[in-house]
Amino acid sequence: MELAIFYISAIVAAGGALMMILQRNPVASVLYLILSLVALAVLFVQLSALFVGSLLIIVYAGAILVLFLFVIMLLNLRGEKFTSEKPILDKGTKITLVVLFFMELVILIKQMAFPQRMDSLMTQASPDFGGVEPVATLLYTKYLYPFELTSILLLVAIVGAVIMAKRDKNEEEGER
Amino acid sequence: MTDQNWSILIPEIFLFIWALFIFGLDLGIKRKNPKILGYSAMAGLTITGILLAIFNGGILFKGMFQSDQLAIFFKVIFIGSAFMAVGSSFDIASEKIRHHRGEYYGLILFSTVGMMFLSSASELITLYIGMELTTIPLYVLAAFYKDDKLSVEAGLKYLIVGAFSSAILLYGLSLLYGLTGTTDIVTMKINLSLVFLSYGKIGPGLILAMIMVIAGIGFKLALVPFHMWAPDVYQGAPTPITAFLSVGSKAAGVVAFARIFVNGLIAFASDVMKPLDWGIIVAILAAAAMILGNITALRQRNIKRMLAYSSIAQIGYVMVGMVAASELGIASVGYYMFIYLFANMGAFTIATIFNDKTGSDGIISYSGLSKTSPIFAAYMSIFLLSLAGIPPLGGFAAKYLVFAAGIQAGYTWLVIVALLTSVVSLYYYANIIKTMYFSAEEPTIKIHPSFPANLVLLISVIGIILFGIFPGPILDWALESAKIFAF
Amino acid sequence: MLQYLALASILFAIGIFGVLTRRNTIGILMSLELMFNAVNINLVTFNKYIGPDNLTGQIFATFVIVVAAAEAVVGLAIVLLLYRNWRGIEVDRINLMKW
Repeated sequence: MELAIFYISAIVAAGGALMMILQRNPVASVLYLILSLVALAVLFVQLSALFVGSLLIIVYAGAILVLFLFVIMLLNLRGEKFTSEKPILDKGTKITLVVLFFMELVILIKQMAFPQRMDSLMTQASPDFGGVEPVATLLYTKYLYPFELTSILLLVAIVGAVIMAKRDKNEEEGER
Repeated sequence: MTDQNWSILIPEIFLFIWALFIFGLDLGIKRKNPKILGYSAMAGLTITGILLAIFNGGILFKGMFQSDQLAIFFKVIFIGSAFMAVGSSFDIASEKIRHHRGEYYGLILFSTVGMMFLSSASELITLYIGMELTTIPLYVLAAFYKDDKLSVEAGLKYLIVGAFSSAILLYGLSLLYGLTGTTDIVTMKINLSLVFLSYGKIGPGLILAMIMVIAGIGFKLALVPFHMWAPDVYQGAPTPITAFLSVGSKAAGVVAFARIFVNGLIAFASDVMKPLDWGIIVAILAAAAMILGNITALRQRNIKRMLAYSSIAQIGYVMVGMVAASELGIASVGYYMFIYLFANMGAFTIATIFNDKTGSDGIISYSGLSKTSPIFAAYMSIFLLSLAGIPPLGGFAAKYLVFAAGIQAGYTWLVIVALLTSVVSLYYYANIIKTMYFSAEEPTIKIHPSFPANLVLLISVIGIILFGIFPGPILDWALESAKIFAF
Repeated sequence: MLQYLALASILFAIGIFGVLTRRNTIGILMSLELMFNAVNINLVTFNKYIGPDNLTGQIFATFVIVVAAAEAVVGLAIVLLLYRNWRGIEVDRINLMKW
């Protein structure tokens, strides 16, 4: 059962990601990415990361990707604007991709034995492992410092985004 | 949690609040007087420096924030580069940046705060957030000339490359976490050694993790082969921001690299664990950076692109000290960055002033500068000669130390490459000096920098000459800061 | 555990592929988001199988989500700026300086 859920979600996630890359229409692209993320959220829940899984749906699918949609619709982008891809560059990137992919897989399989070596360190996880409460407790105690840093980070991002996206009126020119 | 000495956070908190204060000040003066903003940013950085001298030394949040000597040494470099970037921004702030001047200065300060947090991080999560806090303001600053296509293009390229590199870095960090079960760098070192001692080998996952972390930080450092973005971004971004990118942001990358590799993975540079040595990978990249950076710089006609390639080569020299991974190696890296701060910021400040006056970045337009503005031509010559490593300027002592550390650690071939490429670099640095002094063209341009830019230039020249002749104090301090790593 | 890591590496590779081949800036940004999520799978998987005595991996993943959100916001703002300057967001047109 667990394995079946994994394979279904994994295929949906990878398929959604692939369609997102290959799709020429940006709106459809975003929708495929949302599909992929929802499948990932299922996997996260299966990995007993309830909080991260729900964040993924609420923050990613709910906020960030909707923002992407807004921008696409604001700019009124359509698929036909895409130019045909250059074949030379495409070949190079495909090779990079394949090499990276193989490298990773080989290494991962070889590395498989590693966690079993460490199983003396392993303890049984508590039942609410990864729930909202333990994560929140940690965020406000042990990880308070990076948590506060992200507040600065978000402030910077807001300021930056407002500056970049704001349309400046040239009223100052007149005053000079 | 009771006996924590919270006061060591004061410099960072002060600078953060000061950045907010500048946002407010800009509104308060109705966005009219850019000079007040610039001066208050400089004042804020100066006060932060003073606070740093008072409140330092200690550990907070179970070691997540470390105010050790290495962090303080690099924090001084960050504050210095931000100070100089602000100082050289006065002219463009009154002419080219018509909107959001407060935000311009505020974001420089925010980025500095990020660098300061980054240099104090001894744990992967804080390290990563510090790194993002450093770069996100820089994305915005690179695209700050909103109507200038070159600047917007620079911002876009920097954003894509920056986000791409942090994704790769993160993948590497996640593998490191998976291999050790911890994000604390010191615990990571202990766990890895334990596994190694009990099994005699560590899976190839560690090599992949190391390559990905090197690639991720290499992008930020513009280390070859991850350097392609640098010339474009350097050319398009506002020149003071380019200077800040090439000094502050690189120093931040250097300190992150030192924390992860020299502190966390140091065991793997020793002979016992030779197959997992990261030193050789970095040494090859450093050699490539020195060769490619210097040779490409030879045929640049734009001074910002030339300085971009020159800074790619300079980071190669810094990495020679880094791969040595000894006390002298880290000290020489610190000293090199310190001198590089003065020389590179100075050269970019002249480029800023010059661009303001003439609207041109072409090297050819510097011809005859010695006749109209002899002082600035002399300044520029000092900066360039220091970058080339001519005695008795600071650059010479810095290169000497780095090479000594390299030879001490057995990287003789790398030092030979470094020496040869230094000779090549002399050619293009000297070419600018030749253009300034011995050009037949009739000089037309006279530059009048504003007072803060003059101050920045003066500080840089004094720093280069003083610390070149008397490297003692800075070197002692750098050696002190290198002691935090257990070699 | 291996299958989760394999999925993460597949998604990461797709993300890299997308960044390298997409012509549309928004497409590139979306591919970057995909790469960040591949990292999240790694972190959460390692958390469950390597270090279940603490929640470090999940906390790390939370921070990655926050940072990715911040980066996406700034990225989209720059895309807006790009559109205003070029009337288009295809990367092959935005190449005044050679790479």
